[in-house]
Amino acid sequence: MILIAIIIGCAVGALIGINAPIISYTYSGYLAIAIIAALDSVFGGIAATIKGKFDMIIFVSGFFGNAILSILLTFLGEKLNVDIYLAAIVVFVGRMFTNLAIIRRHYIDKWINKSKESKS
Amino acid sequence: MKGKTTMTIVIGLICIILTAVIFLQFKTISKIDVTALENMREIDLRNEITNWKTKYEEIEQELENTNLKIAEYEEKINSNRTASELLTNEVSRLKGIAGLRDVTGSGVVVTLSDNEYVSITAEDLIKLINELKLAGAEAISINDERVVYNSYIVNIGDNFIRMNGRKQGLGSPYVVKAIGDPTYLESGLSKKNYGYIDVQKSEGKTVTLTRKDNITIKKYEGNINF
Repeated sequence: MILIAIIIGCAVGALIGINAPIISYTYSGYLAIAIIAALDSVFGGIAATIKGKFDMIIFVSGFFGNAILSILLTFLGEKLNVDIYLAAIVVFVGRMFTNLAIIRRHYIDKWINKSKESKS
Repeated sequence: MKGKTTMTIVIGLICIILTAVIFLQFKTISKIDVTALENMREIDLRNEITNWKTKYEEIEQELENTNLKIAEYEEKINSNRTASELLTNEVSRLKGIAGLRDVTGSGVVVTLSDNEYVSITAEDLIKLINELKLAGAEAISINDERVVYNSYIVNIGDNFIRMNGRKQGLGSPYVVKAIGDPTYLESGLSKKNYGYIDVQKSEGKTVTLTRKDNITIKKYEGNINF
């Protein structure tokens, strides 16, 4: 059910994105940071699901909150002449790797357990 | 069940938003013209401005150099112009001397004509020209035929005189025009007793001497080719 929703959502989103008008290059920088933040939230959500601690409200608030906060920070950095977006990218990508590691370990453990079970 | 439906819808919406934004970004990055001025980052713009400033300065320097060169050339042209003016004057003066240009000025007109007793000979004219040259004549012509440096005067028969290689001989009356200082010319010719006029008159030849302020002597019509 959720998988179908994800697939349909991705398809519809891709269609919308392809047909949407081009945005200005200045704003595309902010948008990139927002995308990184959102992806971080998604991986965080997947990791939480694996751990069984997934919370809808935390996920949605993290998704939008992180995106908006990163945009605001980037904007602030631009005003202060400090490249804050670098810090945001480091943090979000770092967390993405951590979450990916959690997911990977979980599935490898599962796979190893399965193969052990099938052997024994 | 209700929670699961909400979750499905929310996750679907989030997927829509995320993929839409990602694709939008892909499209923007691939389609955008990075070199267009309004799409440039501030630092690139700054670099560009610095580049253009340097170029501008270079070009300004070049312009200055070119202007200097132009001024130099103009100066040269001016000096050339004065030089060519001098040359033109010189050429005109030399042409006057050589007899290749019409000359106007004050001088004397000597008219010699045959009478029933004596004809004018070439020797008379040669003598006259010699006298005129002695008196400082600048230009001489006989019947509007300019006397130039290689002019010759010879008799043809009794009544005609040939000059400057003209096929048609000159006949009486012979009008000799001379430009120069009229006083010198006049006094040179009309010295008492042994002056040209008196000598000719004593030989019974018809000679008249008139002083004129405005004589035009025509240029030599032939070609001087050696």
